[in-house]
Amino acid sequence: MNLEKSWRRLQQQVVETQVWKSIFRVGIPNTNRKRVLAVLGNVVLHLHPVKTRKSGVKMRYTWCAGGMTFFLFLVLTFTGLLLMFYYRPTIEYAYGDMLDLREQVPFGIMREMHRWGAHAMVITVWIHMFRVFMTGSYKPPREFNWNVGVVLLVLTLLLSFTGYLLPWDQLAIWAITVGSNMARATPLAGYEGPFAAQIAFNGVNLVTAGSDARFGLLGGRIVGANALLRFYVLHCVFIPLIAAFLMAVHFWRVRKDGGISGPL
Amino acid sequence: MTAIKDIINWLASPAIAVTLSMVGLVGAMFCKPLWTKKGGILLFATLIGGFAFSFTDPNFRIVASMPDNVPILGMLFLVGFFFWYAMYQAHLNDARLAKGLPPLEKEDSDKKVFTWPDLVYVELISLIVCSIVMILWSIVLKAPLEEPANPGAAPNPAKAPWYFLGLQELLVYFDPWMAGVVLPTLIIVGLMAIPYIDTNPRGNGYFSFRERKWEIVMFCFGFIILWVVLIILGTFLRGPNWNFFGPYEYWDPNKLVPLNNVSVSEIFWVKWLKTALPAFWLKRELPGILLVLFYMGALPGLLSKTLFKRFYEKMGTVRYVVGVNLFLIMLAVPIKMYLRWIFNLKYIVNIQEFSFNI
Amino acid sequence: MTESESRGVSAAGSAAVAPTRRGFISWLAVGWLAFAAGIGAFVTTMARFLFPNVLFEPPSSFKAGYPSDYQVGEVDERWKEKYQIWVVRNTEMTYALITVCTHLGCIPNWLASQNKFKCPCHGSGYYRSGINFEGPTPRPLERAAISISPEDGQIFIEKARKFLYEKGQWTDPAASIKTT
Repeated sequence: MNLEKSWRRLQQQVVETQVWKSIFRVGIPNTNRKRVLAVLGNVVLHLHPVKTRKSGVKMRYTWCAGGMTFFLFLVLTFTGLLLMFYYRPTIEYAYGDMLDLREQVPFGIMREMHRWGAHAMVITVWIHMFRVFMTGSYKPPREFNWNVGVVLLVLTLLLSFTGYLLPWDQLAIWAITVGSNMARATPLAGYEGPFAAQIAFNGVNLVTAGSDARFGLLGGRIVGANALLRFYVLHCVFIPLIAAFLMAVHFWRVRKDGGISGPL
Repeated sequence: MTAIKDIINWLASPAIAVTLSMVGLVGAMFCKPLWTKKGGILLFATLIGGFAFSFTDPNFRIVASMPDNVPILGMLFLVGFFFWYAMYQAHLNDARLAKGLPPLEKEDSDKKVFTWPDLVYVELISLIVCSIVMILWSIVLKAPLEEPANPGAAPNPAKAPWYFLGLQELLVYFDPWMAGVVLPTLIIVGLMAIPYIDTNPRGNGYFSFRERKWEIVMFCFGFIILWVVLIILGTFLRGPNWNFFGPYEYWDPNKLVPLNNVSVSEIFWVKWLKTALPAFWLKRELPGILLVLFYMGALPGLLSKTLFKRFYEKMGTVRYVVGVNLFLIMLAVPIKMYLRWIFNLKYIVNIQEFSFNI
Repeated sequence: MTESESRGVSAAGSAAVAPTRRGFISWLAVGWLAFAAGIGAFVTTMARFLFPNVLFEPPSSFKAGYPSDYQVGEVDERWKEKYQIWVVRNTEMTYALITVCTHLGCIPNWLASQNKFKCPCHGSGYYRSGINFEGPTPRPLERAAISISPEDGQIFIEKARKFLYEKGQWTDPAASIKTT
């Protein structure tokens, strides 16, 4: 085939330019040595070992649920950043910005991607946990990584929970009201919780609606302006940073604890 | 037709639905023919058939087709499928292990392949498939937006985010400090404790049921029944005023369900001893406190000598104490639910003086 | 320099320069304690940072019109949206119920046909008086301080002063206005 030959020649020419070589170092990874170098030389791929167990490549074993979760996290980060261009976390503007996102922004599926992606990430993270349990992959030497995974699961739920408030519609405010009112019932630290009313000094209660755990979370007695701003910051900066750090630990430990699990 | 729907509505009421799913789940796990390809097709056909049948009902359709409920339906199918798939592979491996062969994955895990291209391409393909699904889903279904937030009027029913609906369902049976603080904390602690409590060295890294029956039954009980089933109950079967509605029932906001619940202290002093409630809280709540102390304090010791003797010897004291307490608390959740359904029990211990209710 | 001299010098030098082991450990302990105290103080300030001193929340006391504006035997919902208050008037007295469910803070609905408040979140039910009788709630609704303003005779409601039934506070003179 003449066409194929010229295609190969073009490919060869591209990968041998100075620009290509300066970026990727190795050319087409067609020898074992180059395959190794392709992984070693790339900061992203470097999270992988150069060789993987064959079982770790098979969908029937891994279900790729963890990978999907990570990919959805990236999708959510990206769409979330785009949404931040339009969204203002104040009670005057938040709802209106939501309407604008729906009506006025071209290709306005970013909010949909963000919302459905969040739902999907919660589901894939559960399925990932289920697979890891069912294959017994939390057993030694992977105990610690299972724990990192549990924390990441909690962070995923918290990310979703904090994001729930941001549209500032009826669903949002009441879901967060009900959810955050549970903090009010924290033993000792919430003002309706067990023994909180007994923490008093000279007959003055120290744990009140204005000083308890829920107040610290919401920055007010009600789900209002402060709560919206706090949840926005938690949702966009604080929790994603912690989650990203722990994901790095999680992936690193997958590799260090003997690679993706398989029968010993 | 109406008769069938009435029966299903009745079967879906919390007490019966939870009982059926508990018995069904544990029973099914020991029913080998279900975990073959034929069994899978049968399960899937039942699920799809039941869903198709239900969808002809207008009341079911209204609830099931709310945009925010679509992912929950997706979860129902996905969790169902992966549960079957895990058990299917587990039974394949079990058959091999029984013959003295290594598990299916063994051969594959002994071989190594280059990450580039084998793994990287699998990742790329998953990534593309995932993107396509997300884009199609986003185009087809609009993200819902309700009326602007109004702190003065709660929607009816007011629901937590769907993944917390299992906890919201527990709020019906437990005081907020239990359902909202203690139980979620213990779920996290319990999950984290799993690798340290489970000393069974077998079944590490491959699907298997035979080698880890007890662990798998326990985990699936927690995950499928106490988490997923309760979410489905909370999403599809809890309507206005958090009243229960069957899947084919109209969500009538004026449905009247009497909920007169009593505490252990009232049952003990008023109903049995026919006296007034003692004024002093310790005396009043003594029966309930003793019950709780017996359950959490004495039962672990008793079990270590009888039913759980095997575990106690294998696990050692510390692991046993942590494990059995987590187990008992997990079991306390359905126990309290049944006490509510059968005796209308509200609190076992009800010390209003300290807002301490169990 | 003799051998003994040099030994004496080196011994004296080490005593002057290098601290004894015990002294070193106690300095280390002080250092670590200071470090721990510093971390503790920083965490405390950070925690305190989460609790603002001034809030921009709606005012909690308001004038609610004249007693004659309210029908005897009715649960009045005119202030529900704005101030989260029901004004209930019966033949004996007028009182202000705070419209926040004592279970998890939802806003119950007044169902006149069934003569009860019913919470949409978890089904808690309260009588007209505010006393709970069904559902998961542990205690009755709260009443707000209510009085007749001496200036113009209007009803004055202070949400910040709450009266709790289970503490026997509903008999407080500020918890209701006697119907004359």
